[in-house]
Parts: sequence; C-alpha cells; structure tokens
Amino acid sequence: MGEATLPARALDDLRVIEFAEMVSGPMCGKMLADMGAEVIKVEPPGGDRARRMPPFAGDLPHPEKSGFFLYLNTSKKSLTLDPAKPTGADLFRKLIAGADLLIENQRPGFLESLGLGYESLKAINPRLIVVSISPFGQTGPYRDWQGSELIEWGMSLTGYNTPTLVDDAEHENPLKAPGHAAEMMGAGSAAAAAMMAIFHREATGEGQWIDAPCWQATVNTAKIEMAVWSYVGMPFSRLRKNVSVGLEPLKCRDGYVYVLWAADTHWKALKQILGNPDVLASEIFDTLAGRHTNDDVLRPMVKEELARHDMEYLVREGQKIGLTIGPVHTVAQAANHPHLLARDAFIEIDHPVAGPFKYPHHLVSMTATPPTPRRAPLLGEHNAEILGRLGISAADQQGLRAASVI
Amino acid sequence: MPRLPLEGIRVADFSWIINGPQIAQWLATMGAEVIKIESQVYIDIGRTNPAGMPPGATGFNSNGFYHMLNYGKKAVRLNLATTKGRDLAHAIIRRSDFVLECFPKPNSEKLGLTYPEMKKIKDDIIMISVSLLGKTGTDPSRWVGWGPMACCFVGMFDAQGYPGGPPRQTGGTWPDYAIASTVVFHALAALRHRNRTGQGQWIDASMGETVIGQMHEFFTDYAMNGRERHQQANNDDLMAPHNTYLCGGDDQWIAIAVSNDDEWHALCRVMGHPVWAHDAKFADQFGRRQHRDELDMHMREWTRNQEHRELAATLQKAGVPAGPVLDSVELHEDRHLWEWGYWWKLNHHEVGERIMPGMPVKMSNVPQLNYSPPPDLGEHNRDVFGGLLGLSDAEINMLIEEKVIF
Repeated sequence: MGEATLPARALDDLRVIEFAEMVSGPMCGKMLADMGAEVIKVEPPGGDRARRMPPFAGDLPHPEKSGFFLYLNTSKKSLTLDPAKPTGADLFRKLIAGADLLIENQRPGFLESLGLGYESLKAINPRLIVVSISPFGQTGPYRDWQGSELIEWGMSLTGYNTPTLVDDAEHENPLKAPGHAAEMMGAGSAAAAAMMAIFHREATGEGQWIDAPCWQATVNTAKIEMAVWSYVGMPFSRLRKNVSVGLEPLKCRDGYVYVLWAADTHWKALKQILGNPDVLASEIFDTLAGRHTNDDVLRPMVKEELARHDMEYLVREGQKIGLTIGPVHTVAQAANHPHLLARDAFIEIDHPVAGPFKYPHHLVSMTATPPTPRRAPLLGEHNAEILGRLGISAADQQGLRAASVI
Repeated sequence: MPRLPLEGIRVADFSWIINGPQIAQWLATMGAEVIKIESQVYIDIGRTNPAGMPPGATGFNSNGFYHMLNYGKKAVRLNLATTKGRDLAHAIIRRSDFVLECFPKPNSEKLGLTYPEMKKIKDDIIMISVSLLGKTGTDPSRWVGWGPMACCFVGMFDAQGYPGGPPRQTGGTWPDYAIASTVVFHALAALRHRNRTGQGQWIDASMGETVIGQMHEFFTDYAMNGRERHQQANNDDLMAPHNTYLCGGDDQWIAIAVSNDDEWHALCRVMGHPVWAHDAKFADQFGRRQHRDELDMHMREWTRNQEHRELAATLQKAGVPAGPVLDSVELHEDRHLWEWGYWWKLNHHEVGERIMPGMPVKMSNVPQLNYSPPPDLGEHNRDVFGGLLGLSDAEINMLIEEKVIF
C-alpha cells in the first residue's frame, strides 16, 4: 500500500506525554495515539504495572506479552524515566517544554510533590494542557481516597444496579462490570475534555488543567435511576418486584436471549413469535399493569415458552416485527460473529515478542480519519530516539542508565 | 461569561432517548449551539417516560429523564414526514457543522438521515450515527434495540453474574452512556480534520464495539490463549478481599479491594486483629486469593452491622481502599459530589428546584459550562426558524397551521 492510500490521521500534529499506569490514563493516551498523535509514554524503569497483568500470550507472564498492556498502549512510544529523581525531573521538564498535552493518573498531589505540578509546568509551557485522571478528582473530601475499579463502579448507582433486577437482595451482592468499565469512563471523559481544551487553545492560545475523575464519570451513567428519586420521589430500587418491565437474559432452547417486553406492542410481538400459545392469551396480561401485577405467574410461563425455541429463530423473527430482542453471546461467539467481522471490529497486530493476535480494533468507525492502532512499544524502546531529540548525547544516556534514571 | 470551547459550532440534533442526547449534551454544555429537532410524531420518550415524571405532572416539559439529558440545548418542532418539514431540516443542516442521529437504520433511511443524503446537502458535514451494532455490516445493522442489547451481543452479560449462574445484565442502560464521551472525542478529532482539510466524514458508532473495547482483556485472552472467561462475580485475578459486603441497614453494601500486604495489615488493624485474620493461610496475597471464600465469610460477619459510609471513611483513613455502595438517596446527598461541583440546582418553570447531574469533568479555564435549562418542546421555534433561517412570523404561523412545525 502506497503512502497516498493511507487514511488521514486527524491528530498527527499533536505531541502528548503520558505519565500514567494501568487503565484510565493509558486508555486516554491510546485514544489520542490511535488517531495519530505522537504519544510518548513515560514508564518507570520497571515498566507500567499493566505489563504484569494477565492475560499473557501463551499464559507465560512476561512484561512484553501482556495482552492487557498491549491493547491499552497501541501506537505509543516508550521512554523509561523516573521523574522522582532530580535528573529525571529535569528531563521530564524538557519533554513538557515541547508538548501539547500531558496525560497523568498519579495520585492527586504526587506531581506537585516532585515540583511538577500544573503551575510549575505552566510556567515552562503556557500552552500545555494537563489532563489529570483520578478516582475521585483533584478536590473534595474523597480526593485522597484510594480508588479501585470495584470501588469507583460500586459507589455509583450503576454499580448498585448491577446485576440489574434482583430477587433476593441479601444473596445477590452488587457486582462490578466485566473489565474496567469505570476506569474506561474516566478515560473517555478525559479524552473528550482534552479535545475541548485543544479547541479552546486554538481560539485563545492558552492551555489549562483538566480534572477528570473516574467515579463522577460513572455516576453520570444512571440518569433515569436518579430521576426516579429526584423527580418521582421514590428511592431507586434494584428489586424486581418494584420494576414493571421484563428485561433480563432468559433461557431459550440453545442459550439465552435478551428481550424487552414492557409496552403492549412488545407483548403482542413476543406472543406472536412464541406462536400465540393459549397460556399467554388471557386478557389479564393485555395491559402493562396486568402483566406487572401478575409477574410471578406470567414470567415462569414466558420462560417455559421461550425454552421451546432456538436463539436464532427468536431473534430473527422478533426483529422482523420490531421486538427488541437479541442473542446473549459468549466472548467466543462475539469474536467470531460475521457481523463484527464484516465491520472489522477486530484487527490482527504483530508484535516482536508477543507475536500476532487479534485486538479489539476501534471504539467507533470513521470514514475519513479512522482510528488505526499500531503495536505497543517495548519497554524503553524509544529511549535513544527521544533523548537524542532532547539533545542528550549517547555518553550521557549511558550515565542516566547507570544511575537508574532511565 | 468566559468563552466556551465550542462557541460557533452548530449541531443539527435528530437524536432521542439516551445515547444521542448524552453526546449532544457534551457539545452543548461546552458551547456548541445544539438544535434538537423533535415533533409530536417522534416525541423523545424521555419527555413522557414514567420513570422521570413528577407525581401529578402532565405534558412534555416536566420529565427528569429528559431534563437531565437535555439541558444546555435548544429545541424546535418539525414534522419530518412532510416535504416542507424536511426542507426546513435541510436548511438547518446546511448551516450546521454536525448532524447527529441515533435511529434504528430502517427509520433513519425512511427519514433520509443517511450520510450520502447529508453530504449532498452539505459537502463537509460531519455526521454522527449512533446505533446498537453499527449501520454497516450484516443483518444486525438493521436491528432495533437499546444499550443492554449491545452488551449481550458482544459477551458482556455472559461474563456478568455469579459463577455457574445465568448471564446477568450490567447496570441499567450502561452502553448508552459509555459510548457518549468516546463519540465526542472522535467527533472533535473529525472537526479538527475538517478545519484543516475541508473534508467531512461519517462517524458510525456502535455501542457493541465500545463495549468490546471496555472488556478488551476478555477478547485478548480469547485471541491469545483460546480461553473464554465467564461469570466471575467480583473475583479478581490478583486481589483479595475484593468484594461487596452486606452492612447494617436495608440493602446497604461496602466495596473493599485489598491489593497488597500493607493494605491487608491496615484492614486487620481496623478490624481489631481478630484471631482468624492471623491464620497463616491469609498471610500473603496468594493465600488470601486461594482462600477467598472463607475470607469473604469472615469479612461479611464483620461488616454486617456497621454503617457503610462511616465504615468506608474509617477504612480509607487507615489506608484501605473501600467505598460505600450508594443508593439514590445517599448519592444525592453525597458531600464529595457537592463540593467537587458535580451536582447543580435547576430552577424550572414547571417543576421548581431540582438536583441535576453536571458534567463529569472540570476545566480550569472554562469555569462555567452552559447549563441553560432543558428546553420545552418547541421552545426555540421562533429563535431558529426566524433568527437562523430568516422566516417571518407570518410564515412561521402558517407552518404551524400546516402542521409542519408540529
């Protein structure tokens, strides 16, 4: 493929320093990097902790074989640097002088303790945009609380409401979502705000400091549940007996389907694909109120009818008549699904140590400037290139290495 | 008022319910002029859904579900089933930078809301389409559905729940919110590309693909090792204790996530060094994870009669990552969310003073976002059809009579 046929890269003029580990900061950096920004990942000499997170290629723990790290750090460059050492802090300032953005997810106050807080960095580079991602934010009573995916998720109404619809509250404890959903939410709002700040800078010439907490981003995902309390005046409940719509994965002959049957039109459609069985014909089920009142009788009957049919049949016929019904896939079924393959939802990327395997490709698809992830860097892979650019001679680099600064 | 980052940007917003409105709200609060195009034919169900309707309220303008997702915007009424209605919509699009829609594909095709059509109206338009599984690909591109169906399609529900149990639903309508900030980031990258090159594009956002990115380690584990991870409740690969535990009070829980020996020793101190905790099998992280069921049993006994918010504060103070699982009432009174500046108070002409969720980021040079009140249905008819499109009062009255402005 010639140069001319490569897609345009919307952010290829931006230089980003990422001083971040694990999920939230690196995900934000990946979003920018996959869109073409040069993202220099500053790693402690031992590497981002994510390099020690499973899964590993071939199940062999190795800092260059963590699928967890490799996904979150596509398209970046790696520089090992310890800004806690004075020489390291000096190099960090040199990097900042030529940067558009700094993405960091250190504990609030940590950069300041190294003399690298926002005000000090602004003095070096007033156009700099600092994106600080943290569990709870840079101010407020929980500022210094330690976060964790389970905690940031659990403290939101969305966390309280997972799993959705419970019968036995005491024995169905609130669960985190698979993966790192709350940290991802923090990354998403940070990336959106970073772009806002770029537009602000283009108009005014000034940089700024962004405070993007993961918890608030997750809290912001339960607006209907909030309104139940602040508008309707009822405390939001996760108990099935208090909810008037049927919405949960239900067993069919060869798996599970997820079907929404709230409105009367849904109910008619559901009965139709089930072959209008006599047991569901009673007119007491014809209204939402009637279905809700008789849920304990109705739900088992619906389940029994669904169990007679295959997933593929139910979804195909239901969708034909406008029923909101979908298949409950396993990860393997999703990874091999023709629709997702047709959309290039996964992309094979080769890596010199981990080898080639399929990664989730893009978060959204775009026609002119698609996200194009390239392989993640080896630990310190770009040390010589970046330090050379800062004017550090090969001999001096040797000295920095000996002093464990890089 | 200080300048907002997106001043001068206009959005023709055909979206409704949750995901599109949440995207448009990011743009509106950051200064874009968002014109939400509604009608009595396609009423946003947020305006009528019982989940947000104050007791005794009637009409289209009092609903919390709508208010929380639509403040900061303008609203006009336009019947897209009429030729004149479509012409007026096109006139708005011709003056806009973005078009946003989140209809199922058959509906957007029927309304002419496709990228080829939009490009004919304005060559450099950036169109944002949000859907369940994307609007290209195979059959599922035409399905109807809402957020949770995206989760079930890509394997999230299969990985959600208690080991050995059925697949469960992840919090409420999670993907509808999860996709919003992600789309905003990519949309602003597209805007920057347009400003630099004059080229518009189509962003075809699939909630399913956003969720795939959020649970990337499930997909890389499958790709690297052929392993399928199913439900694992709150069990973590490395941490223990790592769970939610029942506290005193009705359905009240605390999340605790211990990631190292220091945190474990701090937890033991807060617990008052019970005999069981000094059993050799709990001495290191590996042992605690191996015996996590027994550990959880002891933890549950200890938390059972304590107040979850007080206990979390005590644990955090001692250096143990913990957080209370907040219900809707507690969340609205949470001191951190007030002091950080997440909540704000709306004064609305129909429903009076209400607590609103704000945006989950703070920007140092954008001290006040656009939090103008949620618009009444058609509130900005005169402003937009008169001010922006230049129609006279008489022409507007005629269009109302003809049920074009409807």
